Formats: sequence, C-alpha cells, structure tokens
Amino acid sequence: MHRRKFLGLAGATLATGLSSKAWAQAQSWPDRTVRLILPYAPGGATDAIGRPWAEKLTQAFGQQFVIENRGGAGGMIGAEAAAKSPPDGYTFFLTPNAPLSVLPTLRKTPYDPIKSFEPVGRVGDVINGFVIHPSVGVKTFKEMIEYAKKNPGKLAYGSSGNGTANHLRLEMLKHKLGVDILHVPYRGGADTLNDVLPGTTHMMNEPVSLPHVKAGKLILLAVNSPIRHPDFPDVPTLTELGVTGADVPIWFSIFAPAGTPKDIIAKFNAKMLEIAKTDDMKTRLRAVNAFVPLQTPEQMAKTLADDIKANADLIKAANIKIE
Amino acid sequence: MDFGSLPSDLWLGLSACFTVKWVTILGVQVPILVNIFWCLMGALIGTAIGVLPGVGPVATMALLLPITYFLTPEGALIMLAGIYYGAQYGGSTTAILINVPGEASSVVTALDGYAMAKLGRAGPALAMAALGSFFAGTVATCLIVLAAPPLTKLAQQFAPADYFSLMVLGLVLAIVMASGSLLKAFGMIFLGMLLGLVGTDVNTGNTRFTFGIGDLFDGIGFVIVAMGMFGIAEIISNLANVTRRDLVSSKVSGLWPTREDFKRSFAPIVRGTFLGSLLGVLPGGGAVLASFASYSVEKKLSATPENFGKGMIEGVAGPESANNAAAQTSFIPMLTLGIPSNAVMAMMIGGMMIHGIVPGPQVMEQKPALFWGMIVSMWLGNMMLLVLNLPLIGIWVKMLLVPYRLLAVAIMFFCCVGVYSLNNLHTEIYFMALFGVLGYVFIRLGCEPAPLLLGFLLGPLMEVYMRRAMLLSRGDPLVFLQRPLSLAFLAIAVLLLLFVILPNVRKARETAFQE
Repeated sequence: MHRRKFLGLAGATLATGLSSKAWAQAQSWPDRTVRLILPYAPGGATDAIGRPWAEKLTQAFGQQFVIENRGGAGGMIGAEAAAKSPPDGYTFFLTPNAPLSVLPTLRKTPYDPIKSFEPVGRVGDVINGFVIHPSVGVKTFKEMIEYAKKNPGKLAYGSSGNGTANHLRLEMLKHKLGVDILHVPYRGGADTLNDVLPGTTHMMNEPVSLPHVKAGKLILLAVNSPIRHPDFPDVPTLTELGVTGADVPIWFSIFAPAGTPKDIIAKFNAKMLEIAKTDDMKTRLRAVNAFVPLQTPEQMAKTLADDIKANADLIKAANIKIE
Repeated sequence: MDFGSLPSDLWLGLSACFTVKWVTILGVQVPILVNIFWCLMGALIGTAIGVLPGVGPVATMALLLPITYFLTPEGALIMLAGIYYGAQYGGSTTAILINVPGEASSVVTALDGYAMAKLGRAGPALAMAALGSFFAGTVATCLIVLAAPPLTKLAQQFAPADYFSLMVLGLVLAIVMASGSLLKAFGMIFLGMLLGLVGTDVNTGNTRFTFGIGDLFDGIGFVIVAMGMFGIAEIISNLANVTRRDLVSSKVSGLWPTREDFKRSFAPIVRGTFLGSLLGVLPGGGAVLASFASYSVEKKLSATPENFGKGMIEGVAGPESANNAAAQTSFIPMLTLGIPSNAVMAMMIGGMMIHGIVPGPQVMEQKPALFWGMIVSMWLGNMMLLVLNLPLIGIWVKMLLVPYRLLAVAIMFFCCVGVYSLNNLHTEIYFMALFGVLGYVFIRLGCEPAPLLLGFLLGPLMEVYMRRAMLLSRGDPLVFLQRPLSLAFLAIAVLLLLFVILPNVRKARETAFQE
C-alpha cells in the first residue's frame, strides 16, 4: 500500500470510526485475487458448478477468482480451512450443503456450521431423482414402492457412502413409506453406476445416472426437487406423488468465514444474483443439471438452519451412526 | 465375436488424435494438432526420463498428474501413456551406451548391449532395440484393438464377487512373479494392503488407523506413496552408490544394422513380442518381467548360449521388444476392467479420476473418443519414438552428461511441488518424505517396492468388493463360489499358490530370477 493512501485511510478511519472503514473496504473490494475453497478434489459435481462461477465472477469483478480444491474427509478438511481463513473478503467457501448441514450432526467437526460461516449466495441446486434398472420390471414410482413392499429387502440401493446426502434420500424414503430397501455404500456416483448399469444394484440417486436415463438404460422414477427436471418433463416430483417434505435437498452455495465485513458480503451477493439471471450462466449450469434459486444472505441463513434441523431429525429417526 | 464396428471405432480414434485447435501465437491464428502435440510431448518426456537413470515413469507421471488438469482428458491420457512407452525406448540407450539401465526394464539390455558397444557396434544395437520396440509396439496395439471390445463386454457382466476373486488372483500372481524371495513379496503385499486400509471405511463411514489426524481421513494418497517409494527412495539410493558413468563413445556411428543382424534378430523380436504381450496383461507383470523372461528364453534357445553377455544382438532385440510389448498390453486390464496391473497403470487411473472419469468397462461406451483416441495414439507415438530415437540419438547422449547431483535436486523439487499441488496440503510432503526413507530402507533390505504398491492399490478395493458382494448376497459367503467367473478366478489362484509352494518349482523359480 502506498504511504499516502495508507495515511489517508488511517485518517478517515480515525475521523469517522469503524463503519466507514468497512465501507471503504467494500468500495475497493476486491483489489486482489479472491480464493474460493472447494472441499472436494477436482472433477466432481461441486467442481463442475464452481468453475463457471469462478470464471463469471472474475469477469464481473475484474479480479481473479481462483478455485482451490481442498478435498478430504467428506468435505471436513476444506470446511475447516475455510472457517479458519482470515475474514477479510479474500477467502470464501464454495460447497454443497453436506459439510454444513449433514456432517456436523454425524461427526465432531472442527467448525460450527452456523457460527463459523456467513452465507453469501446460492450457486445452484442439482435436480436429480431415484433411478431404477429396467430388469426389476417396474416403470413408475408407485410400482417400485409396491414391489418393495411385496419383496422386503430385495431391492438394493447404491449411495455415495454412509451418511452422505444421497444415502439420506434413501433413509427418508424408507422412513416415510415404510419400505425395506438394502443400502449398499459406494465410493461415489460413478462407482455406483458401474453396478447399477448391469443391474447388480438396482437403484441410485445421482446426476451421473441421468445420461443413461436418456439412453433408455435406466428409468427415472421421481425427482427430489420442488420443480420437475426440464429434460424429463414427464417425471413427477416427490411432492406431486404425495410424498411431501421428503426431498432432502442438495444445494450448492458460497459462504464466508465468520466476521467477514457485511458490506463485502452484500456487494458479493448482489453481483451473484446479477450473474445468475443471465441466460449464459443459466445454460452453463443447466449442462450440469444445476439451477440457481435467488436468495439473499438472510434467506440463506434460514434455509441452512431448516436444512440442519431436517437432516438431524432424519439421521436420528433412521439411526445412522458414525463413531 | 463382432468386429464390424472396428473400422469406425478406429476412425473415431484417429480423428480424436488429429483434433485441431486454433491457437493465437504472436497475433496469428495457427492450427495446432493438440492431441498429436501431447502425444509428442509424452514421447519426448518419456524418452528423456528413460535415458536418465534414476527417474522412472511412475515418478514422472505422478509429477505431471496435477498439470494434466489443464488439458482435455484425451490430451492428458495420451501424454501420460506416451511417457510410459517412451521410457521403454529411452531406457535402452543408457543401457547400451553406459552400462547403466535407464529403466528397470532395460537391465538385461545392458548385458549384451554394452558388450556390443564396446565392440564398436553401439549403432546396430541401438537401432535394433528401437526397431524391435516399434515392431512389438505395433503388434501389441493391434492386440489391444482386438481384445478390448470383447473383454469390455465380458467385464460389464462382472458382479462385485467376480471383481473380488479377480483381485485375489491378481495379488497371487504378483507374489508369484515378484523377483527374489517369496516371503519378502508376501510381506510387501500385506504391508501395502495394511497401508491401504488407512482412512474412512466406505461401508460404515468410520475412520481407521488415522490417529485423529484429519489429513489421513481419506487415506494415504497413492501419488504420495508412489513418489516417496519410487522417486525419493531412488534418488537416495542413487546418491548413495555413486557410479562412474563411462560413455563408450560420445559419437555413435554406423547406425544401420547389417543383413546378418536383421536375420538373427527377427525370431527373438517375434518371440519377445509374444512373451511381452502375454506378461503385460497379468497383474504384477509388465515391462520388467517381460524383458527378463525374453532374455532367458533367447539364451536357452540359442545355439551358442556361452556367447550371451559378450555382445549377442539377440540379447538386445528380444528383451527390448518384450518390454515394449508388455508396456502396451498392460493397458488392457486398465482400459477394460479399470484394474491397474502395475504402478504405471495406477497412475493412468489417477489421470482419469482427475478428469472425473471413473475407470471401468463403462469408459469404452461413454467416452469412445477417449478410449479409441488413446489406442490410436499409442501407435502414432511408437512411430514418433522411432524417429526420435534413431536420428536424434546424439541429443539424448548429451543429456547423460548432466551431473546427477544437479538432477537429484531438480527431481526432489518437482516431487515436492507435485505433491503439494494435488491437495494444497504441506503435510503430504512430509508423508512423501517418510515414504522416501522407508523406500530406501526397503531397497537396502532387498524388498521390492512394486508389490507393496500393488497391495496398497488392490487391497482396499478387494475389501470393498468383498463386503459389497456379501451385502448383496445378504451375508451368504457362497456367492464367491456360485458365480462361475468368480469360481474360476479363485480356482486358478489356489492352483498357482500350490504350484509355487512345490519344492522343485520353487527352486527352479529362484534360479530363474538369479540369472
């Protein structure tokens, strides 16, 4: 920083107090590279949503927004790194909801989902649903439930691991409809797909399965989302099928370390809403099955709190435990 | 079997290789054949590290893995593949000219190759090594083209029980084929499997052997173990044994072999290609074993076995063809089943994962351009290597003049940068250093690191498949015997184990490896 600029800033701060210092910060923010910590290795769904955002934010703010992949421990390592970063508006956390609204209920996490972070903006919800292999012989969600009730424990559902969001989706189904479906944990969506395509495991709920639904190799039964998937307009949502409050949403967003100046967050959120409304961004995100709900930081805080509570209730009801 | 779609598949591969990208250089739009460019880069880097002793393809690929994120998946895998077979070409140069194998797979090449060089026939030895490799590469690529589609079809029917039994067979093979003591191979594989268990258990989500260290929750990274055991440990051991490197002649003249050379080399090249292709497919096999096997076969078949080691061209042509054939065919299990048969293939799998591609039978259907592009690139790469190695041999010879102490520092530096760039975690650099020291201890103890790495890779996979098979069978262990494929794999594994334990086979095996 130049000496004169520094003196000027210092003077202004002394004269008008803290709020205007923050104001001055927000005015010039960002004046250097901004890091977006992403809690998974490159190549996954979070990465696919994060990269177009980093690119658009860089264009919009005229400063580099770089993605830093900090994978590990189901997102815990990246979340901890973000929580412990300086709250100066130059480090943010780009994450799906699981590290904040699922993990802390299951494990002791080195961060608090509410106290350690400030919501900034939503980057996309992934629309997805339950798919089933045609060899089972069912074509609709209702038929699947009937089949499962007649043959308890016969259907096998592949998830991305114990306590992951798509495992919770199965537990929710079992909990709400009283069906008995075997849970088989895998190392991720693509790994699950290897067993679901030949019909060894029958069901899954991951975006990687959708191209195979289009190719006619798997059947999409129902969508876990308030809206239907635009590529599959005939497939009903769970709510439409009368299974309400069972979506177990998977949503992606940007958070800031607690203590980040409010003005910077407001400025960031406003720009994100602008970007999310452009057709270009909509198309880019749709390619990865993501759609952005427009929310202010205050609305996000409520979404997060509700999500934490809903997942905690479900984890307790389904008796999912990790020591 | 239906090979009707082969021409169109190969055409797809060819067009994937010749993808054109327009790049602005100095304000001018220039078309660049990107994938051909990466193929060339891979071949070049491969030859370079092949020539340099102490830098192997595993460490190099581990180093370059993070960088490939910025390439297309096709470009990345084409380049990584190029490094592997490029190293097979480069390794022979060092072996022939200075009697130090540039690669482990060129150890036997040094025996007769260096002897030929002392007789002033370095040129024909180098040329025959390259021509033999090219022939083997071409045949092996054809084999991949023919074998991959039916194998993929078969693999799509694999259930978790079949995968489990296949891996049991793979590990047994790795023990049988490891050079040296059986007991040590056993020990290294089991140690590898134990190390592989560190981290979060997929089925329950509990963590094992992590001591509460968050950085261990996802297990120890393969790249870290590989770089430590193969990169750092090699450097320490190379620095510990300072060998004087005598270049026989800095000028290689009279490159072209005589008619007599061609006549004598033809049969060994064909046999080497056949042996190498076979051994390459087997887990734990690969280029090193293939070259050893070919050498002993040539020696046995020769009318004048006493002349081996004194400059027999058969002893260069055979093993060099075998190691390249094996390098190529080891891609078969990786491409069709998603199972790595050796450490290099594990790196290739790492390369796929970085791009979000999960290796397995689905790759051929879902990414046909990538699958066929990679296969076609292998043949193109082999052709490039022939050009790179024969006329440009002088350049590679110059590289040998770089002092190792400078090289060692550079390699260490790149290893650290490479590991850090994977997850941005400094702790992983410490882990790598730890494995480096451990690797050096193992080298001194005469324990091979390769079986450890294979156990590290296959052990956890085996566990996952076993538990998944048991889950799906609702706890019935008979599932492993009820599926015909699984039963066959297990039966072969048991037979093999019984076979190696037989006293006279064990003796024969020990003498075979002593040669």
